[in-house]
Amino acid sequence: MNKQNLFRKLLNVGQLMSPFLWPIALVAVILLALVWLTKGIEQTSLDVVVDDRIDRTPQYVEQIKTIGEWEFLTIEDEELVDTVRKGFFSDDHLVRIYYGTLRIGTNLQAVREGDIRVSGDTISVILPQVGLLDERFIDEARTKSFHESGDWTPADREALYQKARRQMLHRRLTPEVVSEARRHGEQQVAQLLRAWGFKHVEVSFSAE
Amino acid sequence: MRELRIIVVLLTAVVLCSSCENNRQAERQDVDAIASADTLGLLVDRIRQCSRLYTTEYRIHKIVTHEDVVRLKGKVMNRHVDMELPFGERKMAIPMDATVKAWIDLQDVTEENIEREDGRIRVLLPTPQLTLTSTKIRQNEVKEFVGLMRSRFTDKELTSYQQQGRQAIIESLDRERFVSEAQANAARVLVPLIVQMGYREEDISIVFRKDFDLETLLNHSVEKR
Repeated sequence: MNKQNLFRKLLNVGQLMSPFLWPIALVAVILLALVWLTKGIEQTSLDVVVDDRIDRTPQYVEQIKTIGEWEFLTIEDEELVDTVRKGFFSDDHLVRIYYGTLRIGTNLQAVREGDIRVSGDTISVILPQVGLLDERFIDEARTKSFHESGDWTPADREALYQKARRQMLHRRLTPEVVSEARRHGEQQVAQLLRAWGFKHVEVSFSAE
Repeated sequence: MRELRIIVVLLTAVVLCSSCENNRQAERQDVDAIASADTLGLLVDRIRQCSRLYTTEYRIHKIVTHEDVVRLKGKVMNRHVDMELPFGERKMAIPMDATVKAWIDLQDVTEENIEREDGRIRVLLPTPQLTLTSTKIRQNEVKEFVGLMRSRFTDKELTSYQQQGRQAIIESLDRERFVSEAQANAARVLVPLIVQMGYREEDISIVFRKDFDLETLLNHSVEKR
């Protein structure tokens, strides 16, 4: 009923309007529609969103070990390592930066009975050979990706890790570095034993 | 008029030659800059003398996971829109191992830290500290699933998740527990050596300095438990 009334009223208005007013009303309606659309488009903003954070997962202590490693020298190293795969049209490259810390010292748990001899205020100590304390010295999770083109597999990344490891050992673990660690170790052990109250201290490292 | 033309041509030639030379110089400078950038900063090493006694080693395992779905988010005609795009899912699992070691700085141990009285010895040590010494990704166990509409994980993304996982391991360490275990292990390592110096086990006390909020007093009898 109401709708019919409204329609009649509109018809009446239409009849009242002169033919001259019709185009103006049409233009006004079009303008209003345009304004409404423009405002709507202005307020439209769409983004494609991807989360780049990791999920929260637990961590487990798998092993606890008592160790007695006395470190005398630390070498922090970073190596730029790359691999190339030859292609028909172009070559694929993977370049990464690996970080590692080589710790050089002696393992006190290998000290045997009789390696420490005391006589009055004199002490003689034979410590195990100086060497690399930890075979795992690369912080692989800190690795930075420098350049990548083409597809690379986890096996390729493992090969790159091993290459970085070999490079670090070759460049950093030189006889000079080991002898510097031994020299500093002798000083440190002697200093500690003097603090212990021994006046005469002899420190050496086993050749084994 | 002809002379004027010749002069103009000559001047143009001179300008062109000099600009070529400038270009060559600029190229040379660029090459020099690249060469110096190649040699600087790519290989950095730092050697540091120290005297650290590592007493405890922890092997930690964590599986870093990442899951992302492409979503269309925003406003359309003043209405909020948040919808998942089909086949836009990606998943990745990176198993990693980390080694954390607890250590005591022996450089700080001086005569003042060692007390001897009536055949008994008391050694005062600084509080142990923790260091993440290495991490290793189990590359052969890495798993990756990529939806039809997505590109594979790039190396940059992969290393970013690994770095976040590493940071999460450091932040979740049970420091108090690790430090107290490290103190007990320090006694386990040092006491046999001090015994070889002529002291009896029961006369040896290893005491830890009250650094920060931790105070742990350990003598050999406690440590034997």
